[in-house]
Amino acid sequence: MSKIPRSFRLLEELEKGEKGFGPESCSYGLANSDDISMTNWNGTILGPPHSNHENRIYSLAIECGPNYPDEPPKVRFISKINLPCVDDKTGKVIVDKFHTLRDWKRSYTMQTLLLDLRKEMATAANKKLVQPKEDATF
Amino acid sequence: MASLPKRIIKETERLVSDPVPGITATPHEDNLRYFQVTIEGPAGSPYENGIFDLELYLPDEYPMEAPKVRFLTKIYHPNIDRLGRICLDILKTNWSPALQIRTVLLSIQALLASPNPNDPLANDVAEDWIKNEQGAKNKAREWTELYAHKKN
Repeated sequence: MSKIPRSFRLLEELEKGEKGFGPESCSYGLANSDDISMTNWNGTILGPPHSNHENRIYSLAIECGPNYPDEPPKVRFISKINLPCVDDKTGKVIVDKFHTLRDWKRSYTMQTLLLDLRKEMATAANKKLVQPKEDATF
Repeated sequence: MASLPKRIIKETERLVSDPVPGITATPHEDNLRYFQVTIEGPAGSPYENGIFDLELYLPDEYPMEAPKVRFLTKIYHPNIDRLGRICLDILKTNWSPALQIRTVLLSIQALLASPNPNDPLANDVAEDWIKNEQGAKNKAREWTELYAHKKN
């Protein structure tokens, strides 16, 4: 397999996001539709069922730097959430505490990231964590 | 990296030894399927005297699949959107393995010379182009001044 350059990878991800091929539980799109560098993205995660996140919609900011996808994006929750891998002051997802970022692979996408965060919310250890009131932001 | 197909090596060599006037295409050293491209705006078009940066990538399936190409320089053109994506039939449904990097880049240069607002990608630009062609061309000229490199 040859290495698809950053921008064409991001265009593929954008088209996938726009066409809605992605799973219904997550979505993402460009934060600014004329950002030719395609750096800043918005993501949402629908809280998983049978957890304290059920029916909540979480907003995230995703930053794909110049070395994406060789390096993972920077991810920050905008909606307040109580999760061990999320910094409780800034909302940043802590790389060392979240396996998808820590063991990032080039084949991972923003969809991988959002779905894995959603799984993280639903683990036995995390699903019953007390959550801040809905609609609060970092 | 996997070895490069002979066809790509040949095309690359010819782009260097027999370049197309007004067009350059240079592969990146660390990814020989990924080219840095420049295209000069055609004379007589609103893009005249501007040099536009593009990037081109040959996917694994090339030449059975078309190259992927995008403008890196902002450009006001009805068939090129705000992210630099190009609406050109040969890059999509009308691709044929008989076409080459060279022919693709020539077609993009021709698209700069004759925009096609009836098959738009950037709808707002196309509407402007149809309603007020002179105004749209002036804006395209302004953007060329603002964003493209200057031809010496």
